[in-house]
Order: sequence, then C-alpha cells, then structure tokens
Amino acid sequence: MNLSEGVQIVSFVVLAALTLCAALGVVLLEEIVYSAFLLGAVFIGISGLFILLNADFVAAAQILIYVGAVNVLILFAIMLVNKREPFAPSRNLWIRRSATAVVCLGIFALLGTMVIATPWAIAPSPGPVDTVLKIGIHFFSDYLLPFELASVLLLMAMVGAIILARRDFIPEVTIPGATSEPLALPERPRELPSERVGS
Amino acid sequence: MFKLLQQVGDYAKEAAQAAKFIGQGLSVTFDHMKRRPVTVQYPYEKLIPSERYRGRIHFEFDKCISCEVCVRVCPINLPVVDWEFDKAAKKKKLNHYSIDFGVCIFCGNCVEYCPTNCLSMTEEYELAAYDRHQLNYDSVALGRLPYKVTQDPMVTPLREFAYLPKGVDDPHDLPAGAQRAGRRPEEIVEEMSAKN
Amino acid sequence: MSAGIDLKGSFIDSLSDLGLPPGAATALWIPLPITLMILSATVGLLVTVWLERKVSAAAQQRIGPEYAGPLGVLQPVADGLKLVFKESITPAKTDPWLFTLGPILVVIPVFLSFLIVPFGQNLAITDLNVGIFLWISLSSIAPIGLLMSGYASNNKYSLLGGLRAAAQSISYEIPLALSVLAVVMMSNSLSTIDIVEQQAGYGILGWNVWRQPVGFIIFWIAALAECERLPFDLPEAEEELVAGYQTEYSGMKFGLFYIGSYVNLVLSALIVAIIYLGGWESPLPVGSLANWLGVSETSSWLQVIAASLGIVMTVLKAYLLVFIAVLLRWTVPRVRIDQLLNLGWKFLLPVSLVNLLLTAALKLAFPFAFGG
Repeated sequence: MNLSEGVQIVSFVVLAALTLCAALGVVLLEEIVYSAFLLGAVFIGISGLFILLNADFVAAAQILIYVGAVNVLILFAIMLVNKREPFAPSRNLWIRRSATAVVCLGIFALLGTMVIATPWAIAPSPGPVDTVLKIGIHFFSDYLLPFELASVLLLMAMVGAIILARRDFIPEVTIPGATSEPLALPERPRELPSERVGS
Repeated sequence: MFKLLQQVGDYAKEAAQAAKFIGQGLSVTFDHMKRRPVTVQYPYEKLIPSERYRGRIHFEFDKCISCEVCVRVCPINLPVVDWEFDKAAKKKKLNHYSIDFGVCIFCGNCVEYCPTNCLSMTEEYELAAYDRHQLNYDSVALGRLPYKVTQDPMVTPLREFAYLPKGVDDPHDLPAGAQRAGRRPEEIVEEMSAKN
Repeated sequence: MSAGIDLKGSFIDSLSDLGLPPGAATALWIPLPITLMILSATVGLLVTVWLERKVSAAAQQRIGPEYAGPLGVLQPVADGLKLVFKESITPAKTDPWLFTLGPILVVIPVFLSFLIVPFGQNLAITDLNVGIFLWISLSSIAPIGLLMSGYASNNKYSLLGGLRAAAQSISYEIPLALSVLAVVMMSNSLSTIDIVEQQAGYGILGWNVWRQPVGFIIFWIAALAECERLPFDLPEAEEELVAGYQTEYSGMKFGLFYIGSYVNLVLSALIVAIIYLGGWESPLPVGSLANWLGVSETSSWLQVIAASLGIVMTVLKAYLLVFIAVLLRWTVPRVRIDQLLNLGWKFLLPVSLVNLLLTAALKLAFPFAFGG
C-alpha cells in the first residue's frame, strides 16, 4: 500500500463516518435547524465521496447545487417561519418510532443485500481525466432527451415561480358581500383656503 | 416591437448614464487622493484658536458687582449668582458664582453684556470630565486661566487655515515671519490714519 | 510555451538524491505548498487591510495608521493581536455550537479557494480540471455559515443580516457564474491555468478584458457583492442592522469574519486578474521579447525571471483591483436591499445572459479571435 492509497482509505473512512453520522443527526435530532445544517454536512460528505471517485465536476456541482442552493433554501424557509414551539408529547410515540425503525432497517437490509449481491462492473482504469468534456458529450448525444426534459421542467418551475411572485397575473378574488370602503384615518376635515374665501 | 426596442434603448441609456456618474464620482475620489492630509496630530499638535474663539468662560471674582445681567441675558438663565446685601457697606456682596459648562452653549451673551467686564471668553476647549457634575465650575475654577497653546512646550502650535500665508495649505514648518493672507487689522488702521 | 520551472519535481529529486525513498519525499512535499498558500493568503490579507486603511485615509485627506511600524505597516498585525487577546464572548441565549461554527464555515471555503489560484505556469497548488467551477461552488458554502451565525446569535438584527447576506450571495452567484461561463466558453476549459494560457502571446492586447468588457464589469460588480464590499455591504449596514450577523460577535470569532471578508476580496481580485487580466502574463509578452533579444526560452535564468515576474504581475493586478474596490467604497453610496436585488436579477442577469449568447455567436463567427 503506497501513500496515495493510504490517504484514499483514510479519507473514505472519514467521509463515510461524516456522512452517516450527519444523516443520522438529520433524522434523529429534535430541533429542525440542526437537521437542516446537518443536511449540508451530508451533502459535503457526499461530494467528498465523489472526489474520491475521480468525479470532480459532479463533486463541485453537488456542493454548488445541494449545499449552495437547496440547503440554503431549506434554511431560509425554516428561519423565516421559525416559531419555537414545544412539541406536545403525543401518546404511544414509541409505536410510531419503532415502526419507523423497522421500516428503515428493512430498507437498509434490502439495499445492503442488493449491493453485496450485485456483480458490479468495476472499471480497471482510473476513469477519464477530462470529465467535463465527457459529461458534455454525453449530455448532447445519448442523454439528450433526459437533459432536455430536465431543462424544460426547470423552465416550467421558473415560470411558475415568476407567476407566483408577480401577483398581478393572478386575478384577485373579490368577496361579493364585502363593501370596499377606502381606508381613512379619523381626522378633522381639512378646510381649504379657497372655501374659506368663498364663505 | 418598436416599443420594446425603445424600452431597451432607454434602459441602456440609463445604465450608461449611471456608469458615467459613477465614473465622475470615482474621478473626484481619485482627485482627493492627491491632496495633502489635513490631519492635526491632536495631543502633540494643536490648532491655535482664533481671536474670537468662544471657549470656556473666565470670571474675575473681584470685579463682579452681582448685577445678575449675565443671568438675564443667558438663554437658559444658567449662571448662579449667590450674593447677600452688606448693610454696612450698602453694597451687594458676592458669595459664590458658578456656571455649569455641561449646559452652557457658549453663546457669549453674558460676556457681551457684563457691565464690568468680569466675564470673558478663553480659548480653552478641552472640557472632558468623567462626571457631568465636574463641569459645574465654581468661581475658583472659573478664575483659572487656561494654558496657551503657543506657550506649551509639549505642543506644536499650528495655525488655522485662514491664518496661513497665501497659497500655503500646510501649517507645518512655516518660515519665521510668515504673515497670513490679506491685511492685518493694525495695517488697516495705519492706512486709515495715513489717508486722513 | 516552455514548461517553466518544476518546483515539485526538483524538490523530490533533490530529496531522493539525499537517500530518501520517493514516497517519503512526496509526503514531505505535500504540506509545503499548503502552508505556503495559507501564509501568502494571510500576508495578502494583512497587506489588504493596511492598503484599505491607507487608501481610505488618502481619499479622505487623512494620514491613516502611522505609528505601528514604518508607515503603519504593522497596524493590521496589531489589530489582529488585539482581536486574539480579546475575550470571546458567547451571549447567554445563543446556540453555542452554531455560534462557534458559523464564522469557521465562512472562512474555510475562502481559504480553500486559494487552491486554484495560479501564480505561474507551475506555481499553483493544483491544476484542477474543474478549476474556476470549484471556486464558484466553494463560495456558495459561505451563506450557510452566515445563516448559521445569524440564527445562532438569537438576535433580530443578526438573523436579518444573515438572511440578507445569504440572499445577496445567492442572487449574485448567478451573473458571476454566467460571466465566468462566457470566458470558459472561449478558453474551452475550466482550468484557471488554461484560461490564462489562452490569453497569452499578445501581451496586453490578448487579455480577456478586450473580448469580454461587459463580462468583466458584471463579474466585478458581482464579486464586490459577494465580498459584501461597500456599495453592497447591506448585510452589515450599520444604520439599519447594527452590524448584521456580526452584531453579537467579539474577539477572534469576529476576527474570523474580518479575515474572511478581506481574504475574499483578495481572492476575488486575484480571480478577476486571472480570468480577465491575463493572470501572470505581463503587458509585454516576455517570451517573444526574449526571442527578439536572442535569449533561448529554456535558459534557466530567464525562467527564474519569468516566474518571479509572473508572481509580481499577478499580485500587482490583484492589488490594483483591490485599490479600485477601496476607491469605489468611498465613492458609491450603499444601495437599498430592493435596489440590490433589482440590480442583480433585473439588470445583471439578463445582461450576462446576452453576453453569454453574444460570446457563443462570436465564437462561431470568428473562431480565431474567440477561441475556436
């Protein structure tokens, strides 16, 4: 085992531990803000794993999109509606929790056996060096349709967001019974100088 | 289509204008970089206050006749004049006099109206204190004369801008007999007397 | 282009000659550029703080720091020492973990981004394939730290400041990335070294500013907004938000924010110098000058001179930009938050998109001038 392999194994162990612990924290912690921040740690750990797999572009994109955009949006949402309310202790909580644990362990066991049972085709070479070029070529040849579909989906989401943000496109619903009296402050009616001259 | 083009054109024009204004502002800032600093290194250098500087008020206890004119002309009736009538001499006898410089606005009305000239303005402006009550000066404190900036060996006195020779804007290292721009009052008096 | 100086190779070779196994020599080499980079970032930070104070003083006709060292050059060190020795207060109702982690998260990505800054052909820590993209993605981590510190301070001003900083950061990331994309399109590579090499050969005429004037301006505005420099410093606008997310911080935790913002300024200036102002290339092409004088490109002393000239050039360009940023700070008034977001989304974004399209069209039309 030479230097680079040792570094790789140590980094893999560290990153895997980081990702797993942070993911457990996301699920198990009571306070939602901690969960959101730990989600960022999970994304960073996953991006580190991508780097170990020589997928540098995917790693950087992972950080940019998931940490820089998705996680920040989640945090925004949490912080803007942050109301610190203590949860009402619900009865029979243990039943829910144990059911969740059983389901989760089942999925984990299923995935684990799948990972072990599948004969993975491990590439003998360290992979392409110019990853960006390869990704681009794939995007515009054999993965063109999913790529375009994803972009159309994003465009639709963007148009929807703009329509939501610009309220003047949404017709205002008027309640038939309500009279629309202009809001006026209780103040003395102003005497205009012209009126005073006339009277 | 034409309207849209016009909108785009207007927008571009506005953007160009904004860029132009930022450029002008930058050139002003850059011009300031070339100017000399006007810093006065305060505790070591001090500006010489001008003749009509309205600093802390000086009070001469013996000249005061307790007429209370200073109290009447003061916008807030600030000076405290504590006197009693001396029946033997048939005169008012001043016991205490004090001015609170934490409240005084240094308008100089009291100095202006004092009939015996027992009040006068000094050039002292360093009135910092740890407690605002320390600024309430009694007659003894009011009678102290401040240290002159020009006579303080610890301080380099600097002339104010209006007292510098013509074309000079740095008060440091002036030649010995440098006079300020324009004529001095005594020169004007001399000219007037020569004319008459 | 010649290969230039291979510091790493010669270092490992010389250690191997002394009898060390090559693996150990490589292991000895690894920490060297890292420490060098952290040191140079720190020195760059100190110089920037000093420059900021001196230039601000000159713009306001003051003297600025002058007692700490000759011309006050030690003043930033004194500032730093003061911050180190101050008590680090954690207010009572804060969240101590997030409160400590926030400033750290702000600083680390900035220092990490120095990985991709090249000072010469081989004078970079890594020639990453994704180069400039790494910088963009790393700089998107910082808002998380800002949100974290804003939230953990348990203070309305801090929370608002953190939210504003994150919003600003996200909205200016997009024009920044788009204008970088236009440059990347011309150089056919994300690697910073390739981007500089693509500008080489014609001296000052070959730089990307001439091909991307709009992109240059957009990038500079967006970079100023990312660094929260003065026209855009409203996350810590003192009239509105006391000091924004920094309100509750003191001592070295505050110092970390301070370090982060100034190192970020240096980094942005370096990146502008690299992708628009030709990086280590001098205004007159050294290679052709040497050819004209009849000096061989491979002679060792020419390479040493070219390398040091490259470092000087990069740093000089970066500090020229820092100087402009300081001047702008005393020229332009602070924008409001709605003006800031309007500028970002309604002006810079469309203009940078148009710039990107134009670059693509020009690249197809004139493949010689725009990197075919």
